[in-house]
Amino acid sequence: MSSIHNPYLPELATVIKIIDETPNIKSFQVILNDPEKMKNFTFEPGQVGQLSLFGVGESTFVINSPPTRLEYLQFSVMKAGEVTSAIHELAEGDQVGVRAPLGNWFPYEQMKGKKILFIGGGIGLAPLRTLILFMIDNRADYGDITIIYGARTPNDLCYKEELKEWEARSDLNSILTVDAEFPGWDKRVGLVPNVLKEVAPSPENTVAITCGPPIMIKFTLQALSELKFKDEQIITTLEKRMKCGIGICGRCNIGTMYVCKDGPVFSLTQLKELPAEL
Amino acid sequence: MADTGFLPKENLSALLEALSKKFQVFAPVLEGDIVLFKRFASGVTLCLTRPANLPPKGIIFPQSEALFNFNFKKDPEDAKKVAIELKENLDFSPTIIFGSRPCDAQGFRIYDRVYLETDTADPYYKGRREKTTIITLACNAPSPGCFCTSVGRGPAETEGSDLMMTELENGYFFEPITEKGEEILKEAGLEDGSAYKEQSQKLHEKVSALVKKPFTTLEGIPEKLLSLFDNNQFWEEETAKCISCGACTYLCPTCYCFNITDEQVGNTGERIRSWDACMFFHFTLEASSHNPRPNKHQRLKNRVGHKFSYYPKKYNNVIACCGCGRCIRYCPMSVDISEIVAHAQGA
Amino acid sequence: MAIEKLKEVVLKVLPEVDVIIGYRQGFDPLHATPFFITKPEQADQLIWNPLCVQNLCSYLPFLKGKVGVVVKGCDSRTIVQYMQEKLITRENIKVIGVPCLRVISIKKVMAAINQQSVQNVTFEGENIIVKTSEGQKTILVTDVAPRKCATCQLATPLQYDLLAGDAIQSNKPQDAFEETKEFEKLSLEERRAYWEKEFDRCIRCYACRNACPLCICQDKCIAESRDPHWTSQRDNVTEKAMFHMIHGLHLAGRCISCGECERVCPMDIPVAKIKNKIGMDLKELFDYEAGMNPEDTPPMYTFKLEEANIKEHEL
Repeated sequence: MSSIHNPYLPELATVIKIIDETPNIKSFQVILNDPEKMKNFTFEPGQVGQLSLFGVGESTFVINSPPTRLEYLQFSVMKAGEVTSAIHELAEGDQVGVRAPLGNWFPYEQMKGKKILFIGGGIGLAPLRTLILFMIDNRADYGDITIIYGARTPNDLCYKEELKEWEARSDLNSILTVDAEFPGWDKRVGLVPNVLKEVAPSPENTVAITCGPPIMIKFTLQALSELKFKDEQIITTLEKRMKCGIGICGRCNIGTMYVCKDGPVFSLTQLKELPAEL
Repeated sequence: MADTGFLPKENLSALLEALSKKFQVFAPVLEGDIVLFKRFASGVTLCLTRPANLPPKGIIFPQSEALFNFNFKKDPEDAKKVAIELKENLDFSPTIIFGSRPCDAQGFRIYDRVYLETDTADPYYKGRREKTTIITLACNAPSPGCFCTSVGRGPAETEGSDLMMTELENGYFFEPITEKGEEILKEAGLEDGSAYKEQSQKLHEKVSALVKKPFTTLEGIPEKLLSLFDNNQFWEEETAKCISCGACTYLCPTCYCFNITDEQVGNTGERIRSWDACMFFHFTLEASSHNPRPNKHQRLKNRVGHKFSYYPKKYNNVIACCGCGRCIRYCPMSVDISEIVAHAQGA
Repeated sequence: MAIEKLKEVVLKVLPEVDVIIGYRQGFDPLHATPFFITKPEQADQLIWNPLCVQNLCSYLPFLKGKVGVVVKGCDSRTIVQYMQEKLITRENIKVIGVPCLRVISIKKVMAAINQQSVQNVTFEGENIIVKTSEGQKTILVTDVAPRKCATCQLATPLQYDLLAGDAIQSNKPQDAFEETKEFEKLSLEERRAYWEKEFDRCIRCYACRNACPLCICQDKCIAESRDPHWTSQRDNVTEKAMFHMIHGLHLAGRCISCGECERVCPMDIPVAKIKNKIGMDLKELFDYEAGMNPEDTPPMYTFKLEEANIKEHEL
C-alpha cells in the first residue's frame, strides 16, 4: 500500500455497453467497479482518461460523456494500433482499467455568455461532444451554439442518433456535411473547412472549438483566420503518444508543455507560442 | 551540521560491511575494466578512482520495474466472467549509495522536481528515494569530457548528497549534508574529522579550477535554443554524426524518460516501467504512423532542448545537465553536447 | 605525409559531391570524431592517424545526394556489402581510400594509462605516446590495437575511387576466426556461463545496433517491436541475450567484421565475438565471406534446393 495515491494504478471498471459508431470507431461505456469511487467520480469537460487493457497496454481517450451525466464514463475509440485493436475486441462485462481524470479541460467558465462554434471532423467530435452535452445541460449559461460536423462518408459520422437529436433541437444550429456526394445523403456536401467558410459565422463574442484530423484542423484554422477570428477565440485539442499521463515520463512534450498535463486543450494563442513540433 | 568524521583508508571495507548489516549498500565495483554500482559484499573490488560507467540512477530509478502485477481469475460459475486482481509492488528496503560522484547525486535532484514536486507524485520513486542515503565522494580530478562547473555544479557540490566524502592522503574526510547523512555518520562511529576540514576544502577548490569550461556563459541559453528551434541547418550540422542510439540517455544521471508496457504469460502479467530515450524513432511514433520527430536532428534537438531550455524554463533556470561528461565519453561518434550548446550560444 | 595527401584528395573530390565524411579531432586528444565537410576551408581540420576508428560508411544508406567518404580497409568491406545488397547507389559515392595497418582501441589505451585523463597524444613510428598527469607513456600501437587489426588483410581498401597514399600489403596472419576456434575449446557450460556474465551488463542502449553499418532497420527494429513481440522490457539476462542473438543472426552473411559493435559498447561486452562465430559458420556452410566481392550474393538472400555443404538427409 502506498502512503500516497498511486497515479499509475488503474481503477478496475466494467464495460457495460458498446456502441458501433462507424466501421472503425466504437464507443465504450464503463462504470468503476468500486461503487463509492463511481459515486464520487467527478471531472471537467475535456479531461481525458487512460483506458487499460491488462496484458496489452493503455491508451488515452477523452472522457466522452459529460460530467453532468455520471451514470457511466464513455470513451470513443478509433481502431489504429495494438491497444485500440484489442479494445475493439472487448465484450460487455469485460474488465478494464481506468486512470482518470487526467489533463486540463475546456475553459467553459470563460465561455459563459458567449456564442459557441463547434467545428469537428470524424472522431474529432468525441471531445466536442463532452462539451456540447455539458452546455446543453447548462443551456442558459451560453449563447447561440452552432455545430459544424463532417466526415468522409455518412457511415463515418459518429454519434448518429445524437446528431439526429441535435438537428431536431431548436436551441442548437447543427450543420452536417460529408466530403463528397454519397447515395442516400441529401444534406450538405463539402469539406468541413469549406462548409465553415460558406456558413461564415461572425467572430463577434464567439468562441470556436475545433477538433479533427490534422489536415482538417490546418484548413479550419486558416478559414477561421479569414473569417477574422482572433487566436484567443480559438480552442483545440492536441494528440500525442502518451504513457504516464501525468507529465513525468517525458514523452508527450512540445517544448516545455506536456500534452497530457498542460493539455490536451490549448488555445491557438498558446499553440503559437510552442515550438513547431506537432 | 557540526560533527565531521575521518576514516583511515584501510578501514573502508569494514565500514561498508558494518553498514551492510542494516542497509543494502551499493558501491562502485570493478568488473573487468569497467566500474559499476553493485551490491557491496566482502570480496568485491571497490574502485573509487574514477566515476562508474553507469551512474547510480538505477538504484532509485531501476531500468525495469513492475509497477504492479495483474491476475486474471475466471469465475468458477461462469467461464466468460473474468475478474482482475491488481497488486502494487511498493516494498522498498533501506539503501545506501556509496561512492556516488557529486554529478551523479545531482541527477536525483533533477528527478525530484519532476517525480516528487507535483500533485501526482510517483510513489515508486518516492519510496526508494526516501529510504536511500547517498554518500558522495568528491572528485579529486576531472574525468574526460566532464564540465560540471559550467552548469552550476562542482566536484564537491553538496546538493543531492546526504554525506560528502573527500579522499585525502591517508583516509576519507566525512561531512554530513543532511539529517540522513548525520545519522549514518553517527552510525559509523568515526573519529572526529575537524582537523581535516580545511585540507579538504582546499582540495575541492584546486580540483574545481581544473574542470574544463566549454562555455563562456550559459546566460540566456533557454531562450537562445528556442530561437534556434526552426533552424534546421544548424541542427542538421550539429547532429550529422549522431547515430540515434540510446547510450547517452541511459548513461546520463539526469535523463529520466520511461516507457510503460504490459507483459503477460497465461493468466498473470505485469505492467512494466522501463528506461526509454527520446533519441529513438519509436519514442514519439503515434499509432496513426505520424511521428512529430521522424529525423534524428529533431530528436537530438529535443534532448539538448530539454536539458538546456525546457527544464530550466520550468524550474527556475536549473540546467538539467550535471556536466558528468558520460554522454561525450561513451558516445560511439563522440557527439559532444557541450560543443553543441557552445555553438548554439554563438549562433 | 599521409594527412597532406588525404587533404589533397578531399579538396579534389569536394566540388563533385555534396559532403565528404572524414575525421577531425574529438573532445580530447585521444578521440577522433566523424567530420562532415561541405566547404574547402574545413579540410584543414582533417586528421588521419590510428585514432580514426569509426566506420564512416554507416551514414551512407541514410544520406541523399552525392557523398564522399574516407575509408580504411575494414570499412571498405561495408561499401562492397552495400553494393551486394543495393543499399547505396555506388555512382553517388566517392570512396576515398586510405592505406591503414592498424588503429588503436581507446579502451585498451585507457587501460594502459590507468584510466587517466589524456593531455596529449602523438604518434612516432610504431608507437603512440600518451601524456597524462602521471607522466608520458610510450606504447606500441600493436599492443593497443583492436583484435580485428591483428588478422586484417586489407591494408589497402578493397573499393576506392581515389587512394590517398600508396597501396600497401598486409603481412599478417590470415585466420580471422582463430579467436572463435580458441573459445570453442571451452565446454558448452563454460561458454554459457561466460555469455551470461557478459550479457548481464547489457543496458540495451542499442549503441551496437546503431553503430553497425549493416543494421539499417534501426527505426523499426524487431528487438523493440510489440508485433511481432520477441523481447520484452524486462531487465534480465534472457531478454538481453535474445536481443544479441537476433542482432547476430540478422547479420549472418552480412557482417563485415568492422568491430564497431564492440568498440561502441559502453559496458565493454565483447559482442563482436558472436559475429565472428556466426561468420565462421557461414564460411563453413556457404564458403562465403561478407563484403569481399560486389558480384556476390549474400547466402541468406538466396535459396538453393541443394546446398553444397549442408547434407540435409544426414542432419
